[in-house]
Amino acid sequence: AGAMWGALRGVRRPPAALRRGLAKAAGPRSARQLREAEEAAPVFQYVGKAAKRKDRVFVWGFCYSGALGIPSFVKPDVGWKKPRRIQPTPYRLETEEKISSAACGYGFTLLSSNTTDITKVWGMGLNKDSQLGFQRSRRDRAKGYEYVLEPSPIPLPLEKPQQTRVLQVSCGRAHSLILTDSEGVFTMGNNAYGQCGRKVVEDETYSESHLIHQLKEFDSRVVQVVCGQDHSLFRTKKGAVYACGWGADGQTGLGHYNITSVPTKLRGDIAGVNIIQVSSYGDCCLAVSDEGDVFGWGNSEYLQLASVTETTQVNVPRHLPFKIGKIKEAACGGTGNIVLTEEGNVFVWGYGILGKGPNLIETAVPEMIPPSLFGWSDFNPDIRVAHVRCGLGHFAALTNRGELFVWGKNLRGCLGTGRMEDQYFPWRVTVPGEVVDVACGVDHMVSMVKSF
Amino acid sequence: LNAAPGRAPRQRVRFLPAPDGGGATGLVATRVPVLADHPLVRGPRLRRLKIGAGHRLDVKASGVFVLGLGHGNKLLTDLYNCHLTKVYTVGGLFGKATDDFSDTGKLVEKTTFDHITREKLERIVAVIQGANHKALLMHSNIDMKTQEAYELAVKGLIRPMGKSPPIITAVRCLQFALPEFQLEIHCLHETQQYLRKIVHEIGLELKSSAVCTQVRRIRDGVFTLDDALLRTQWNLQSIQNAIRDCQLRVKTELEKTL
Repeated sequence: AGAMWGALRGVRRPPAALRRGLAKAAGPRSARQLREAEEAAPVFQYVGKAAKRKDRVFVWGFCYSGALGIPSFVKPDVGWKKPRRIQPTPYRLETEEKISSAACGYGFTLLSSNTTDITKVWGMGLNKDSQLGFQRSRRDRAKGYEYVLEPSPIPLPLEKPQQTRVLQVSCGRAHSLILTDSEGVFTMGNNAYGQCGRKVVEDETYSESHLIHQLKEFDSRVVQVVCGQDHSLFRTKKGAVYACGWGADGQTGLGHYNITSVPTKLRGDIAGVNIIQVSSYGDCCLAVSDEGDVFGWGNSEYLQLASVTETTQVNVPRHLPFKIGKIKEAACGGTGNIVLTEEGNVFVWGYGILGKGPNLIETAVPEMIPPSLFGWSDFNPDIRVAHVRCGLGHFAALTNRGELFVWGKNLRGCLGTGRMEDQYFPWRVTVPGEVVDVACGVDHMVSMVKSF
Repeated sequence: LNAAPGRAPRQRVRFLPAPDGGGATGLVATRVPVLADHPLVRGPRLRRLKIGAGHRLDVKASGVFVLGLGHGNKLLTDLYNCHLTKVYTVGGLFGKATDDFSDTGKLVEKTTFDHITREKLERIVAVIQGANHKALLMHSNIDMKTQEAYELAVKGLIRPMGKSPPIITAVRCLQFALPEFQLEIHCLHETQQYLRKIVHEIGLELKSSAVCTQVRRIRDGVFTLDDALLRTQWNLQSIQNAIRDCQLRVKTELEKTL
């Protein structure tokens, strides 16, 4: 700059104070400069040491019934969007409370939280038989909603609403059961066969009904409730099983084929046995004892109980003499059954897509599904299946690493794999988190997931 | 190689005039070496060697690098079509994020990492394995509805036999000492930059950031670190021994797959 000023003769040069020196050359920074710049850079903290993992709910499957709980799938909020018929992959459902138990029925869903707040249970989906209680319509205060599109609270007639906790919910075809810790079992929905545990009233209209029945008379506290298609099973702390509802396939297990409208204790091979888990979804039922034996009763048209009897209806619980090891958990579907043993092996039997390729359609004797299909390998030898669940035509298995595997008939996208084809062997469902529990329905599924 | 004794020159029977009896028409059959085989005429036996490279290895990475000599080039193509997995040890460092995912790049962000535990890392690693296992089954182009697909899936033999995006078949955490960690990754059709990107994504998933400090290939199909020649062993004898040792293994592997 000094040279430039010197060249312009006759022009007054600026005073020395204002003269700028030549700017430094901008060459590559030396290693020392880079290191100093790095150390001076600010450190961001995204999450602290005490960060908790969040609990989330993911849903997928058939949307039109509203069972997924996302109203924009059925009635889009923007005019140009079309209603979504099927959600093929897991979609997050935003809930205010942490959901501890979920159950999928035939076109509806119940979510419950074990909080002491007033609202403990939410329901969505079909409500034509008041299986979600009375949902007052906002347009006409006297009428109720037939389809509930988003999780709506179900008001329960509790004596101590701020102390009682809801432990578990269960849904059948058109009725639902809610289990509380100190106030017994609440039932709502269709009672045409006595499945709600109260006397059948002729020509009763179940839609827009306010009636929620409470059941308290059992030998001890009820610890598990299970809904079959049109019957209900209750398991008490002492290990006894009670049943009520439709019995034409013997699914009530009471020794007759009539309907029962009062929960009655089951006898047969489970009399005196301490039952630790009961399961049912269609018309067949399975019970697991504390010693690892499995008992079955109900429909056997699909060879579910063919290992003990040739009859197609079994109305008394029978012990199933399988030599597969001590059984930890069992689940019943519409036509197939699945059990999990103590070693972590999964066995299936019955009819339908059982999970061993397209060639295995039906079997009366349990067949094991190879653990390598659940991710077990020499590289990961400690992967085990922790839980098994059953929908009407499909199965689900949860591993101890929090992965969800599904297989079976892909009815309206209920598997959640992203494809519409049936799945003949266990296939992973990609869920962004660790799957803690899953509930299977006819054409949709709900999963409770812990975020990473 | 050229200094080694070569083939003996060919001999030819020629009818040469008899050494004794000048002028007489006596021809004697004698074996004479062919002039064309003389080393001064022929020149050195090998002037060039055809060397082909196997799977690529980055400048910043290290490890086993397979080369093929002569006929080995054709074997290299066959080995490529076998689609065998490669094993890498990948070292990472938490707390930094750079633009090219390695520790020599330009710094983008610094984050805290004291909330990371080995259990959280293993959880993320399990998810990566699960998602890639699904990708493995999907890219193998087998119809999932056949009994054959079921049987291959049970044995774990389903793998893509054609072009596919990079797939990781197994990951394991070898060492974990904050801020450093080391993973062993088995993969197919990958590049080393992809592995560095995976390290970066693991950092993001753990709500922090990570850079890759080391990528080392310890196995490439049938060739492991024990077969690899060090810089000091790049001489003719070791190369010949190495080729001889792995010939049988390569042959059995090719026969098994193709």
